[in-house]
Amino acid sequence: MKRRCWLHAIVVLAPLGMLAFSVGSSRIRFEEISEKAGVRHVHRTRRFAGKTADVLRMFTSGGSSVAVADYDNDGFDDIFVTDSDTGRPNRLYHNNGNLTFTDVSVETGITAGNDPLSIVSDALWFDYDNDGWVDLLVIRFGTPLLYHNEPSPDGKGRHFRDVSAKSGLNKFANTIAAIAFDYDNDGRLDLLFGNYFKPANLLILKDPHVLPNDLDNAVNGGGVTLWRNNGDGSFSDVTVKAGLSKHTGWTLDVGHGDFNNDGFQDIYLACDYGTDRLFFNNGDGTFREVTEKAIGYDTKKGMNVEVGDYDNDGLLDIYVTNITDDYMKECNMLWHNNGDGTFTDVAKETGTCDTLWGWAAKFGDFDNDGWLDLFVVNGLRSAGNENYIPVLVKMITRPGVDFTNVYNWPNIGNMSWSGHQKKKLFRNVGGSFQEIAALAGVDNDKDGRGLAIADFDNDGLLDIYQTNADQFSLLYHGVSEGAGNWLEFKLTGTRSNRDAIGARVTVHADGRAYIREVDGGNGYAGQSSTRVHFGIGRATAVDSVQIRWPSGLVENINAPVNHLTSVIEGKGTRFPETYLERSHASGSQ
Amino acid sequence: MLRSLPFLLATALFAVEPGADVHYNEAVKALNSRDFQTALEELEVVLASEPDNIRYGSEYRQAAIQAGAYERCLNFFDKLVKVHPNAPNAWLNYGFAYVDKIPAAGSITQVILANAALREFTRALRLKPSWIAYYTRGNSYLFWPKVFHRAHLGVADLERAVRLQRNEPEHAYHARAWVSLGDGYWKMDRLQKAKAVWREGLEQFPDNPLLKERLEKDGTDLKGAIEAALDPYKRVDTNLQELWANQ
Repeated sequence: MKRRCWLHAIVVLAPLGMLAFSVGSSRIRFEEISEKAGVRHVHRTRRFAGKTADVLRMFTSGGSSVAVADYDNDGFDDIFVTDSDTGRPNRLYHNNGNLTFTDVSVETGITAGNDPLSIVSDALWFDYDNDGWVDLLVIRFGTPLLYHNEPSPDGKGRHFRDVSAKSGLNKFANTIAAIAFDYDNDGRLDLLFGNYFKPANLLILKDPHVLPNDLDNAVNGGGVTLWRNNGDGSFSDVTVKAGLSKHTGWTLDVGHGDFNNDGFQDIYLACDYGTDRLFFNNGDGTFREVTEKAIGYDTKKGMNVEVGDYDNDGLLDIYVTNITDDYMKECNMLWHNNGDGTFTDVAKETGTCDTLWGWAAKFGDFDNDGWLDLFVVNGLRSAGNENYIPVLVKMITRPGVDFTNVYNWPNIGNMSWSGHQKKKLFRNVGGSFQEIAALAGVDNDKDGRGLAIADFDNDGLLDIYQTNADQFSLLYHGVSEGAGNWLEFKLTGTRSNRDAIGARVTVHADGRAYIREVDGGNGYAGQSSTRVHFGIGRATAVDSVQIRWPSGLVENINAPVNHLTSVIEGKGTRFPETYLERSHASGSQ
Repeated sequence: MLRSLPFLLATALFAVEPGADVHYNEAVKALNSRDFQTALEELEVVLASEPDNIRYGSEYRQAAIQAGAYERCLNFFDKLVKVHPNAPNAWLNYGFAYVDKIPAAGSITQVILANAALREFTRALRLKPSWIAYYTRGNSYLFWPKVFHRAHLGVADLERAVRLQRNEPEHAYHARAWVSLGDGYWKMDRLQKAKAVWREGLEQFPDNPLLKERLEKDGTDLKGAIEAALDPYKRVDTNLQELWANQ
C-alpha cells in the first residue's frame, strides 16, 4: 500500500519520454468475426427451481468461459467455450488455420458437465501427464471433470476420455476459477481452485444460509483448494499443508506469477465481498501470506487477476478489476510491483481505475509497440429498463437483515443490474493508459465475462475471444495498422512441465528489456494461449532472448523477428515447418 | 485512562454528574495534547450531562475521527439517545457519527451507514425541525447516486432550510444551503433553476467562493465541481464549529 512520490512522477512523466520509443503511427484496431469464423457460441446461465430460483440464478451468472490451446498440435490455437444451463453442451472449436473454426465438440467427447447437480463454471487446458498433448479440465459448481487427450478411435483426430474418477479431484466445491501451475517445481502441473460459495450444493439447497455474511468483509466463502499432481494421473488436496486453508473468502479468481523473482510461482486471490490475498511461495511446498505488508487489506469486490509487466521494469505487476459503477465506485487496482515485496496501487494514476462492473481483464501488446495494452470486459445483467439497485439497497439497509439467507434477497425479475456497459480497451503509452475501445472497435455492450488472448491466425497480431453471460460470444481479429515487429514463442518443457507454465522469457531489443511468463489460466473465466508474444516496436532484430525454465535451467537462444519460434527445454530452438509456413503465409513481416 | 469503557459508559449515561465544565476543560486539554482516548472519556461524561449540546457532540465526534474510534462513537450515541430520546441534537450527532465512519468502510457498508445516517437525521427533524437538521439531511440525500432518485428529497429539505434561515440572523454558513440547493436542482437536471438558486444565494453572500464557482462553470467543469463536492468516497467535513464560531 506504499505510495511513493517518485513512482507517481514516473507514471505521469513516463508517457512523454517513452513516446519516442513507441510505434508512433500504430492504431489498435479489431474486427469482430465470430459469426464468420463459426465461433458465435451462445451461453445460458443455470436456471434454478423453486422460490430461490431467481436469486440463485443471479448469484451464479458466471460460467461463460473460454480456454485456448492447440489441442491437436497443428500449430493453431483452438477454442473451448463453456455453457452453464442444464444439459447444454460445452463447445470445442477446431481452428482451421484460416480464421474459420469447425465445431468438433461431439466427436471429441467434451460436451458434458451441465448435469442436474452440477454447473460448469470455467475450463482449463493443461498437460497433466506431460505426454505432449494438452488435457482438459472442466470446472464446476460440483466436482470437476478431467479429460485425457488421446487419439480418436478412427485415428484421424483427437478424442477426450473422462478420467475424473481416477484423478482424485473428487471434493465437492463451488469452484469458479482455476489455474494450472507447478507450485513446487517438480515438473508436474498442479492445480489451484478458487471456490466462490462454501461447499453446499445450490441445486439441492438444504440450508438457505449460503450467501455472503458481510458484503465488504465476507469470510464464509469457499476459499481455495490446492491440488498437487502426484505424477500418476491423480491429484492430492494439499491446501492445509501448503498454508492456504485459512483463507475462507469468496474467491472469484486466482492468478500466479513469480512476483519476487525467486524462481517460484506466487499466487494472488481476487475475492468478491472483501479482501484479496497475496501469498508468496516459500519454495518448500508451502506459501506465506503477505497481504498486509504487500498490498494491505481491501474491502472491494475482486473479480479478476491478470499478471504482466505493464511498465517494462522487469517485475510482474497485477491488475484486479472491482466494481466501479456509479453507485459503488471502488476503483480497480493496478498493483505496481515495487520489487521489495510490496506493491503500490496505481490504477488512478495510470487511468485504469474505472471499468464499471468489471470482469475479465487481459494484458496484450495489441499494436506490438513493446507495451502491454489492457482489455477489460464488464456488465452484469442487461435486461429491462427497471434498475435492480434501489430494490437491492432497500434490502441491505434493513436493520438486522441476514444477508446469508437466500430468502431475504429480492427477486430481480426482468430488471437490469449494471447492464449495457461499454467495454474498455486501454492503450499503454509508456506505462500510462489511454482508453480507446470505441476507436479500436471493441466497445460492445454485452454482459462480458471471460477473455482469452491468442494469435489465432499466426500473423503476429493478437486476437481476442470474449465470452458473455446469456449472450453470444465475440471474436475480435487483430488488424492494427502500423503495428510493430514481434516475436512469439511456443515453449516445451522437458525437465519442467511440458506446457512450460511458469517459464520466464526475457527479450532484449533496441536497448530495452521485456519479460513475459507462460501463464496457466490467469484472468477470470478465460485462459489465453500459452504461447508467449512480444511486440518490439521498430526493432528489426533482438539482442538476446533468455528463458528461465521452472526447472531452474537458464537458456539463451536466438530467435528471428516476426516468427513463431518453438523452443524445447535444453534442446534449443526448433522451427516446425508448419509454423513457419503458416506464419509466412499469414502475411507476417 | 484506567477506567474501563463499560464503567465509563455507565457513569456517563446513567449517573449525571455535576460539574460538566470540569470534564469539558479536561477534554479540551486532552485534545490539545492529542490524547484522544482521554478526550473521548471526558466528552462522554459531558454529553451525558448535556446530551442536546450540539457542540459537545460535534467535538466528541471529531475526537472519535482522530482516534479512529468509529464504533465506540456509534455505540455511545446509540446509548445516549436511548437514555435521552427527546434530545434532537443527540440524534443529529448520532447521524453524523454514521457519516463519519463512511470513509473507513467498504463500498456496500457505506450505503448502509449513509442510510442509517438519514434515519437518525429524520428522528432529529421530527423532534425539532431546525435549519441545521434540514440542511444536513437535505445535503445527505444529494450524495446518493442518481439511480436512487433521492435528489428531489434533498431539494425539498434544502428549500425548507433556506426558508428557515430567513428567520434567523444571517450567518456565513447559511450560504451552504444555497450551494447545496442549487446542486440538488442540478442533480435533478434542472440547470436553469440551479443557476437561479446560486444567483439568489450570491446576492445574499456575495463573497462566497462556492456560489461564484458554480455560476462561473458550465458543462463538464460544473459537473466536476459538483461531483467533487458530493463524492461519497471523500471524508465529509462534519465539524459543526462554524455554527458557534464568531458568536
